[in-house]
Amino acid sequence: MMDCKNIREVLDLYVDGELSPEATAQAEAHLQECASCRRTVDRLNRLRQAVKATVGQYQPTSQLVARVRQSTISPWARPAIWVPAVAVAVLIIVLGLFSPQIRSVAASELEVAAFHLDDSRATVMEGKLLCRDCLLKEEYGYQAMCPTRGHHGSLQTKDGKIWQFLDGQTSEELIHNSKLLGRTVRIHGRCFRRASSIEVDSYEVL
Amino acid sequence: MLLGWTSRSRHFERDALPHLPALYRMARQLVGAEAADDLVQETFLRAWKYFETFDSATNCRAWLFRILRNVWISRWRKSRLELPLTETGDEQIEPYYDWEDEFLRDEMSVEVERALSELPADYRLAILLADVEELTYQEIARVMECPIGTVMSRLNRGRKMLARLIRAYAESTGSNPKPEEFVRRKP
Repeated sequence: MMDCKNIREVLDLYVDGELSPEATAQAEAHLQECASCRRTVDRLNRLRQAVKATVGQYQPTSQLVARVRQSTISPWARPAIWVPAVAVAVLIIVLGLFSPQIRSVAASELEVAAFHLDDSRATVMEGKLLCRDCLLKEEYGYQAMCPTRGHHGSLQTKDGKIWQFLDGQTSEELIHNSKLLGRTVRIHGRCFRRASSIEVDSYEVL
Repeated sequence: MLLGWTSRSRHFERDALPHLPALYRMARQLVGAEAADDLVQETFLRAWKYFETFDSATNCRAWLFRILRNVWISRWRKSRLELPLTETGDEQIEPYYDWEDEFLRDEMSVEVERALSELPADYRLAILLADVEELTYQEIARVMECPIGTVMSRLNRGRKMLARLIRAYAESTGSNPKPEEFVRRKP
């Protein structure tokens, strides 16, 4: 069994629960019989509680919690997403603001990129031939140049979507022959959905 | 263990972020209210960066405290003048013979906080990890990167010094205490 000297040497371990089960049992047996050591244990436990209560009263602000989340697990902390996105956005803004020529080149490049990215495939589309510029004039007040430059044939499908014909030998009639406007046609070719464009292989007027 | 971003994010939210309040209260005791937010944020940034190295079979809170201690040492502690601890006989434990008199009242948070702030930082850290965060001696030794015997002696000396400081502040209520008279006196 422990005596006063023994227990006072291991008091920290006792109150911190670091003594072995056997040593703990010996310490408790002594404490049952020794009021002086019980008082000392009580003082030490009260000191530990006072420290815990004093330090534990402080809580982080909601702003700090939000900041930590934002800088770690937020999707915006993921470089793979936002770095390229921001870089492209900045590039487009700079190009758009500072150079019309560059803007035009960039637009063409983006168009090419769109074609590359598109899931183009052979298709058959049916719709009515309408002048794109006249449609835009009617819907948005666009100043169409049709009286001087001629109409610009496009395909309007049943869902109301307007498709542009890519320039080519086969599509020339569809684009520039105003006599075909208003006719229903069936187009065989490739469709580029993101660019709303059709490459015409052949067509038939219905 | 290599985790995808979504999985890593989910694990971090589950294992690390719940300990933010514990890290904050520790940071506050180490660097004060003004710098505590910065210390916590830098700790979590570093934890997020090295989260792949965390062994999920171990205590995440202890791992975070170790990072916090490293950040604190590299960014804050070196800028503060502090007397070094005497490491000679560092692992000696002195029995509690002088704890018979009453030195704690019910409402003493002001005195306790003041006394804590005057403790040498390594004593303070050991006491906070044991009494507030209830880490085991083994975990405290890992956080503080020292032997268990050193943890024991720091707790022993730190608690005795803390009690003396609290007693001194309590006795000097109404006067102008001079805390520097009470700190780093040979235990």
